[in-house]
Amino acid sequence: MSDIIRRDPRAEWIARNRLHPLHAAMQKSDTRWMGPNGLIRKNPHALAAGFVGPSGLKRIDRSGAEQGGGQKRSAPETAVRLPLHLVEQPSHLVAVVPDMVGGRLGSHDRDVFGLARQLAGATGAVLAVVFGQLREDAFDTAGADRLLILEGDAYDGYCPEQRLLALRAVESGFAPRHWLLPDSRSGGGELGRRLAASLGERPATRVWQMRDGFCSSRAGAGREDLVQPTPRLVLASAECAEPVSDTRHEARQVELPAPVISHLPRMEDLGAVAVDPSQIPLAEAEFILSGGNGITDWNLFHRAAAILGATEGASRVAVDDGHMPRARQVGATGTWVTARVYLAVGISGAIQHLQGIGACEKVIAVNLDPGCDMLKRADLAVVGDSAAILQALIERVAAHRQGGRRDAA
Amino acid sequence: MTDLHVVALVSVGAHPTSGRPRRAEQDARAVELGLRLAGEQLQVVHAGDVADEALRAYLGMGLPRLTVLEQPPRADALPALVEHLANSPAQLVLTGSQAETGEGSGMLPYLLAERLGWPLVVGLADIESVENGQALVLQALPRGQRRRLRVRLPFLASVDNGAPAARQSAFGPARRGQLQAQESAPAVDPLLSVATLQPARLRPKRLKVVSAGSAAERMRAATRKATGGGGQTLEGVSPQAAAEAIFNVLLDEGVLR
Amino acid sequence: MLDTILQILLSAALGLAVLGAVKRFSMWRRGRPAPVDWLGGLMKMPRRYLVDLHHVVERDKYMSRTHVATAGGFVLAALLAVVVHGFGLHARILGFALLAATALMFVGALFVARRRRNPPSRLSKGPWMRLPKSLLMFAASFFLATLPVAGILPEGFGGWLMAVILAVGVAWGVSELFFGMAWGGPMKHAFAGALHLAWHRRPERFRAPHNASAARSSGLKALDFEDIAAPLGVGKPRDFTWNQLLGFDACVQCGRCEAMCPAFAAGQPLNPKKLIQDMVVGLAGGSDKAYFGSPYPGIPVGEHAGAPDQPIVVAGAGGLLEADTLWSCTTCRACVEECPMMIEHVDAIVDMRRHLTLEKGATPGKGAEVLDNLIATDNPGGFAPGGRLNWAADLDLPLMSEQHSAEVLFWVGDGAFDMRNQRSLRAFVKILRAAHVDFAVLGLEERDSGDLARRLGDEATFQTLARRNIATLSGYRFARIVTCDPHSFHVLKNEYGALGGHYEVMHHSTFIDELVRHGALRLGQSKASRVTYHDPCYLGRYNGEYEAPRAVLKATGIEVSEMQRSGFRSRCCGGGGGAPITDIPGTQRIPDMRMADIRETGAELVAVGCPQCTAMLEGVVGPRPEVKDIAELVAEALIEPDAPVKPSAPAAREVAEVQ
Repeated sequence: MSDIIRRDPRAEWIARNRLHPLHAAMQKSDTRWMGPNGLIRKNPHALAAGFVGPSGLKRIDRSGAEQGGGQKRSAPETAVRLPLHLVEQPSHLVAVVPDMVGGRLGSHDRDVFGLARQLAGATGAVLAVVFGQLREDAFDTAGADRLLILEGDAYDGYCPEQRLLALRAVESGFAPRHWLLPDSRSGGGELGRRLAASLGERPATRVWQMRDGFCSSRAGAGREDLVQPTPRLVLASAECAEPVSDTRHEARQVELPAPVISHLPRMEDLGAVAVDPSQIPLAEAEFILSGGNGITDWNLFHRAAAILGATEGASRVAVDDGHMPRARQVGATGTWVTARVYLAVGISGAIQHLQGIGACEKVIAVNLDPGCDMLKRADLAVVGDSAAILQALIERVAAHRQGGRRDAA
Repeated sequence: MTDLHVVALVSVGAHPTSGRPRRAEQDARAVELGLRLAGEQLQVVHAGDVADEALRAYLGMGLPRLTVLEQPPRADALPALVEHLANSPAQLVLTGSQAETGEGSGMLPYLLAERLGWPLVVGLADIESVENGQALVLQALPRGQRRRLRVRLPFLASVDNGAPAARQSAFGPARRGQLQAQESAPAVDPLLSVATLQPARLRPKRLKVVSAGSAAERMRAATRKATGGGGQTLEGVSPQAAAEAIFNVLLDEGVLR
Repeated sequence: MLDTILQILLSAALGLAVLGAVKRFSMWRRGRPAPVDWLGGLMKMPRRYLVDLHHVVERDKYMSRTHVATAGGFVLAALLAVVVHGFGLHARILGFALLAATALMFVGALFVARRRRNPPSRLSKGPWMRLPKSLLMFAASFFLATLPVAGILPEGFGGWLMAVILAVGVAWGVSELFFGMAWGGPMKHAFAGALHLAWHRRPERFRAPHNASAARSSGLKALDFEDIAAPLGVGKPRDFTWNQLLGFDACVQCGRCEAMCPAFAAGQPLNPKKLIQDMVVGLAGGSDKAYFGSPYPGIPVGEHAGAPDQPIVVAGAGGLLEADTLWSCTTCRACVEECPMMIEHVDAIVDMRRHLTLEKGATPGKGAEVLDNLIATDNPGGFAPGGRLNWAADLDLPLMSEQHSAEVLFWVGDGAFDMRNQRSLRAFVKILRAAHVDFAVLGLEERDSGDLARRLGDEATFQTLARRNIATLSGYRFARIVTCDPHSFHVLKNEYGALGGHYEVMHHSTFIDELVRHGALRLGQSKASRVTYHDPCYLGRYNGEYEAPRAVLKATGIEVSEMQRSGFRSRCCGGGGGAPITDIPGTQRIPDMRMADIRETGAELVAVGCPQCTAMLEGVVGPRPEVKDIAELVAEALIEPDAPVKPSAPAAREVAEVQ
């Protein structure tokens, strides 16, 4: 995409047309904004501020070219302000309990919000139920019309029983028409099932598609689909629906009408146990750094794995030569891996090895031999000396980590 | 810890690629955990058909017997199991997380715990100790992480793939072990009157989500992906540049934490 | 005077020997019953000893001649001594005969002694170092004691002194050679060996001509699951059949098996000789302290003990041997091939593996996973059974289920799931098409042959797979089965028979050879230069096919430069018997050693005829000679007919399309 500034007649037209849904997005960002109490404010002078023309005179251009064409088309990333979807008196509520891994909305959460928006329709409202300290401010673009924040020490750590009590209070206080939770291992799957058992609702689980009042969920070990009328409680898989992308929502905070009762937990969270990343089973690992015959300095390799936080893998040859234990062998003759990112260093890529990494999403390969099969398979192939590149990578990641710490401070 | 009264609930699974009946992977892990905790004292219970040969695979793990609460096919196993467990001295009930056949909603341990009024530990990986009616347990989290919990006995625990792998099932013990049938009242599962099971459809992989509002922008995003996708090769660059490129991919994929 | 002493000594030794023999015999009989041809076997025994056994011993000319002299001399001398000195039949001619026999034996024993002066490591020491002296003593004393009988020396020559010296010598000699034979001394091998040959568990091995493929008996024996009381494999020495126990006792500890064993050479904890000796310890009771040969690599001698009713493998420690010893075996049969006493090592190992797998559920490595996959998906990799024919999606292979009969049934094997092997399979299909062979495949109806399950000791899964394959095959008409996989070949040919499946089975190299000889293939000059050929164990040693692959290579103009270890002495690639799955660590890898053999010939390419060998040899780190299946080499050298005649089925379809 070139950086040449071009006129965009369509954008100009949208900027003139106040009825166009994207009209607001095409205005200069500071002409419209939401005030502190939720009112939309307008700066009529901004538009009239105009610009200084080539002859030094101030000009006001009402053709829309100033707004619509002033933006470079090559920069779609500039934050667009989406039209606001307002639901003052919702006909019904759809409650969503996002996972909020790390206190933020994940892509799975956003997908579930997308699904919730489908269920809420034009008149219903999506109620986000969030536990603990809020570190996320994107509930409006995610699609939450209402936001219920349940704060307090009681929700810190792992406390499914306490959270369940809170959700029961939501149930009695708001009586949502649907409950939606992400069917994930990081919380939603468990909390949703606890809620279902507690409410006596039979949920639809692992839902991956919903249309016309029916939902399709994966059944059994994934070889069958179960199609049923959408029940009250839905546990949805990742990518169950497109996330909300063309509207903005109020995310108006609401309060529980009655406080959540709490009682003595039968389970007590004693905190996380330190797990050595090298002990994580290969098949489970999300990010694998795998070494092969081309690794000369195994200490460097182990150091790189530690700094990257990657689980270590190895080619058959590296295992045969005794550099790595057999349980770390990747491939058709070792472990079939499903890592999202597979970083292969000094592995030439025997067929068995390539078979074993078939399910990996992104493969990065570093090898000296530009003709080897591993490089051909890789999404990012780097021809070069593995030791030097590992060393540089260690330094790069260390710098990033330090930078991150500075930013946080 | 040997006097702990442990029950493992098992079901008949289906192999992921062939669909043939087998011991269910997670249930077998539950039995494995039970055998490590209680040895031969472990009680193993199945609700279903006593003539199912796949159950012998559990016996092959070294169980002298397996109790089968007789149920017709596609019945709701919950009432029979609740009744059986309520009348047994069980202190710890182990189950898999999700059945490999039928609905596989994974609700059974939750419903059992709710009906029995017991706490439920999800994703049990190991039991560290049992003292004074309380157990210290390790819970398996995604990516191989672990969390330590203290939980009151009796409790129910579901086991997922984070638990220790099941031992091999041997032919001899499988042939010798006994499947003991017990009558139990059948309960109809209403689900299949409204729902249908059909062969799984492949889900299309989602393309990169385009958050742009207009068709033109979506189009642009789609074409950009098509032209720039896959198979980038870096040759003759400095190690620093190569590391930078790798680093960017790792950052994009969100695996650097 | 001397005569009386000799008579007493001889009769005492013989009496004790008979007593010991009865005792030893009852030890063997502790094993499970096995049907044998009692009398017929005894009648055939001399021929087996003198001909079949001699063929094997003859591979070492020095030892062969030494043995003929020593053993022949001894047998003659012993018989004559009993007649002459035992019964006092002092005929002069007998005396001379005895002198000649003892002289012969003495000369033989001298050579034995020479071999023992600086013995190679494969030979056991300990009591075996004493044996040549005992032999010399026996021969010398009887020679001297017989001189008067022959009239060369006067009666009573040497007086008391001579009598005492001779008495001591004779006592030493007969106690080693008569008494020791039956009471577990080194000479036990002669006594047990003779009976072992008579009541051998595979009498087929003695069919003439020696070593012809008809005289091979290499298929494992089936377990009878109908018999609930029968043990599942061998958990304690008593679970062996009695003639297996007898066979262990026949071991002469020559160590030829040890010298040939690939696992031993790779430093894995297996030594076939020690294994057999451990079985002897097990059958008689005791510890392995009395063993004086090479140990299992990495496992010291003297820490293991056993008894007929004690478990052989004890998890943790102790027991008669370690489980890893059993799982190191690649079932390459090199030990069986080399054994001059025709002991069946592989049978014993698989019997013990059966116990570990079927009773203990203790298959190591990825064994459990592989067996589960075989049960659930009919292939060891756990691939979806529906993908079995994906490799040939574009080949339009004729299916048995559609045409029900064909001249040749092409048994694809599990290599169908392996991307490397698919190249070989496609090459073979090209050959079949070029030769206009009427063939068909089973397609999705095919299952794993069961080879792997059986070698891993899972006889139950093997029999299930085999019975289902046999049921499938029984629905179709075909003249013969051809396969590119020697393991499937062996199992179909030699092991399905016991379960009711009798077929004419051919390895693809044999079949291609036949096609070439009948002129069905036009072959050009192969571009490959400097080629060597690796004999797969399951084709060569198991089935005696050494010639056809070489003939096929020759037909493509390839000059094979042979490895030092080829033919019946070919070294295993390390891929058999589930060894890659159990994966017992050693100090080096078997395929690396084999690749070193290959490199030694200076070859740039090694021709193979087995998917396992291909996988193992290609797993060796480069740069290394290229590995190609015979089918690939032939397909490359194929001269396609000018006007390609399409196979009948597609041709018919074309006509239909035109109309």
